[in-house]
Amino acid sequence: MASSNTKSPRRKVKKKVPKSVRKKKKRAARSAPVESPATTNGSAEAVAMRKPRRRATAQSMAAAQRDISVSEFFAKNRHLLGFDNPRKALLTTVKEAVDNSLDACEEAGILPEIWVHIEQTRLGRYKVGVQDNGPGILKKQIPLIFGKLLYGSKFHRLRMSRGQQGIGISAAGMYGMLTTGKPVKIVSKVSIRKPAHYYELQIDTKKNKPEILNGRGDGVDIPPGDKGLRYIQKHGIEWITHYDAVEGAKLADLRSGTRVTIELEARYQRGRGSVDEFLQQAAIANPHVTLHYEDPDGNQHIYQRTTKTLPPEPREIKPHPYGVELGLLITMLKDITEGTLSQFLTSSFSRVSPAVARRICEGAKLSTRASVKKIGRGEADALYQSIQSAKISAPSLDCVVPVGEDLLLKALKEVLPGEFYTAATRPPTVYRGNPFQIEVGLAYGGASSAQKVTREALEELLSQSDARTLRQFLIATFQGVGPDAADKIIKGAELGTRQSPARLKPKEREQFHHAMQNVNLDDGQTMQVLRYANRVPLQFQHSACAITQAVVNTNWRSYGLSQSRGGMPSGPVSVIVHMASVWVPFTSESKEAVASYPEIQKELRLGLQSVGRKLGMYLRRRLKVHQQGVRRNVFLRYLGEVASAVSEINQASRDELYGRLLRVAKKRTAEADVKLDSRGRPVDDEETDFGQNVIIVDPAENLARTLANNGVA
Amino acid sequence: MAKKVKRKPAARNGKAALTSQDKRTLSQLRRLADDVVSAATRSRDPFIDIPTRALSNVRYSPRKRIIEMGSNTNRRQLFNLSQAKSYMQTMLVASGCKRLIEEGKTTSIRGLFYLLKHTIEGTKEETFSEQSECDPVIEDSEVLLNALREELHLYAQTKGTIVGNIVINDTGNEINCAAMGRGGYGIPSIVEPDVLTLDRKKCKAKFVLHVEKDTVWQRFNEDRFWDEHNCILTHGGGQPPRGVRRLLNRLHTELGLPVYCLLDNDPWGYYIYSVIKQGSINLAYESQRMAIPAARFLGLRSIDLERCGLTNSVKINLNENDRKRAKQIASYPWFEKKKAWQREIKKMLDNGFKLEVESLISKDISYVTETYVPERLAKRDWLD
Repeated sequence: MASSNTKSPRRKVKKKVPKSVRKKKKRAARSAPVESPATTNGSAEAVAMRKPRRRATAQSMAAAQRDISVSEFFAKNRHLLGFDNPRKALLTTVKEAVDNSLDACEEAGILPEIWVHIEQTRLGRYKVGVQDNGPGILKKQIPLIFGKLLYGSKFHRLRMSRGQQGIGISAAGMYGMLTTGKPVKIVSKVSIRKPAHYYELQIDTKKNKPEILNGRGDGVDIPPGDKGLRYIQKHGIEWITHYDAVEGAKLADLRSGTRVTIELEARYQRGRGSVDEFLQQAAIANPHVTLHYEDPDGNQHIYQRTTKTLPPEPREIKPHPYGVELGLLITMLKDITEGTLSQFLTSSFSRVSPAVARRICEGAKLSTRASVKKIGRGEADALYQSIQSAKISAPSLDCVVPVGEDLLLKALKEVLPGEFYTAATRPPTVYRGNPFQIEVGLAYGGASSAQKVTREALEELLSQSDARTLRQFLIATFQGVGPDAADKIIKGAELGTRQSPARLKPKEREQFHHAMQNVNLDDGQTMQVLRYANRVPLQFQHSACAITQAVVNTNWRSYGLSQSRGGMPSGPVSVIVHMASVWVPFTSESKEAVASYPEIQKELRLGLQSVGRKLGMYLRRRLKVHQQGVRRNVFLRYLGEVASAVSEINQASRDELYGRLLRVAKKRTAEADVKLDSRGRPVDDEETDFGQNVIIVDPAENLARTLANNGVA
Repeated sequence: MAKKVKRKPAARNGKAALTSQDKRTLSQLRRLADDVVSAATRSRDPFIDIPTRALSNVRYSPRKRIIEMGSNTNRRQLFNLSQAKSYMQTMLVASGCKRLIEEGKTTSIRGLFYLLKHTIEGTKEETFSEQSECDPVIEDSEVLLNALREELHLYAQTKGTIVGNIVINDTGNEINCAAMGRGGYGIPSIVEPDVLTLDRKKCKAKFVLHVEKDTVWQRFNEDRFWDEHNCILTHGGGQPPRGVRRLLNRLHTELGLPVYCLLDNDPWGYYIYSVIKQGSINLAYESQRMAIPAARFLGLRSIDLERCGLTNSVKINLNENDRKRAKQIASYPWFEKKKAWQREIKKMLDNGFKLEVESLISKDISYVTETYVPERLAKRDWLD
């Protein structure tokens, strides 16, 4: 400690410590002569009589009791917000910024376009810049939004949005400030004609208040037009001014938007739980978003939007009486000073008509015309009990906006290669008075992520990995690769399971890559579960999440997948589960797992079962087709020989005979052809009627696509 | 071989002059192929009906005292998963035989196996992976085409030897079986009259003694048993191949020599005798030419342990398989009504052990040639 070059506050502490020690020594020296005679007298009583020194008094304690600012609390407990380690900090920062951008764009009705830029500034430090084309933020609001924890628009309303509490982005800024000392930089532009505002902010953690560093505490205005561009260039401010060039069109200016740049202590690592994965998954659930992403190595990734229609605007709703707890009810009663009880009930809650209000009041033995002011604690309790037993219709459900089966399918197909896709959107329902809706998508087949990785990417992953063994490396890095699959790959590469990933020789790496590409992982793969809450991918705490639990508790064996008891099913399957709600019940502030309310569990189960049924149908038919194909293959294998032998004996034309036999063979195994004429559309056969929202891809087509992708890569 | 070329001189274009028998076989083959073409033209499943070669499809004719084949057939279809491959193999064998006939050549069944064995185009599968896969298909083809193996220009592996007071003519060569030294004359697989002729005048022998295996045969030959007793001595190396059986049959029918068998006292010995006597179940269609209903079983007998005073150490305990087989044999129609045989088999089962002919050596090296067989013959002590 002493040797380390500590900052000024620590030095102060150092000075203090010796002082207090000195004081204690004095006190001890003083008391020693007084006490010593007693001890020398040998009086045990005196020792017993000596009162224990009071440690602290109410007064002394009161002196230490003071406010704790939220920012102080979260600065200490940053793990609650997802900043437990440098790697996760980077992800959380990107995630919070992107979430905010998307919320802002959608609320303003702008098709979101988002630029994410991550750059390494020095070892262990990265600069994250996220810009959107949203509505921008008013000058006076900027410092509060980015420099004050628990400041936001989303907490007090019931409306489906990504953000909830107003902690995220300011916490990210605070984390950056704490770890690098660099301020958060914000550029925001409201209109093309108005100046953009440029701020450099810090959070005063003691007071939970923003501090503006630039422009003498007032920020800087960047004038619009060319003058502004020059200013931006001169001062090295990061700001994207134009959309990507579209062929044949004029370069479009960015009319408005916000960019936040945070420098933080972080670690960039690809694979599971990485920024790359987050953005890819975000693109699946947000098909109306175009994402530009530049990773620390300077690679550009663009996730193009697949639809130009924004999701419908979610409606804001009033709380439903069932979702309100007694304490909240009392607070609400206190807030309202005017009017009758009936008026209070009808105006503060959704789904409470005067008739319902009357019934509630009757149940509580209160008058509908009683003044709200006069409702006491006991009456409030009666009112609360009455609400619980009253029959109130479910809240209006049009306030949750699902991605939609069509778009989900489209996005799935875009991102995950496979041969079978299906999606199901459950009708919205309610937990604790909060409307929510579950959507499930499923993709079957296709190569696992381990198979798609390029040699260069693998080299990098190997060098970045901190896994101790190759097996660990495979499981931790690639989605869907389970222990079985990992063992298969390692065996295929003829390497040792416990070999260290970082210490592979170039030749071994080549073998390893080759095995990853060529080992058939179909059986060894475990199901990949992509979890979403309000269109935000959830990447951590799988096991704590209601979604994962629902997947594990579903019996996939009856849908043709193998599954060990209490485990994930195996097979080349990916499942997407999206929960849309006005209030997603997360298990922590870092929003990593959905809490398992019984209503949510039930909906999840039903959603998974409905995609499972379709998968089962597909797999059964595939098996049938496969068996017929095998049969035909057996015949085809021998037909040539038979035709040759026969023509040898009687000089009949071999080819003609072969052709004829082939025709008979095809007739006999007509089942094998079913696949060829049912691409995506329902077949007459009842067994194979998939209904809507299913895409079947011809494996050959898929292969071509993969090859093309590889070629591009 | 040289003689064969003379017999069927090869034509210039690689095709040999065909005998009338060959022409008949070829037309059979062609009919088989034409059936496939016509089925394919009518979009039907091609199939072939092969006479069943199993106990269920053989009939014992008490009058002829031989096993005859019934009329049951097995249908073999191309478009049946379990039969597709054997259908293909049957066609291959047919085409292979056609080539052999046209080129006027013969080959062993192993040779045909190699001739037809190749990798099926576009796969890793072999047409025949082992000879054991090919042999039954050849037998199927024989019954299917109603042609004997030699008519298909095939022969089995040479197994079995002959010595004795007889001179035979094999493709023009005079073979004096009394001057074959210690080795004897190897009985060829094909011993039909067109290649091997027997002459009543050139045969001084009075009977034929067939022994099971080489060891015993060597004993008899070394002791010049055939010289002393004026007979012909043969062995078939266990279950005698067709050549041996056919030759025994011809020695019996053409030269009128009685045939005595000296075989092991176990179910397999019994069955060898049964095959020699009334023909095999597998090749029931050939019984007419092969079976010797008058063949006699000289020994060993179940009573020989006591009768000859053998030591207990020569006993070989019967295993479960032996008992099963013995009961099976006892229930064959051609054994069923023979009380002596039923007693014999029962005695063996009661003994709980079997005896090999070689066990007589424990008594004295030449006991079998000097005492056992002459005694049996003198006492006319045999089973029929």
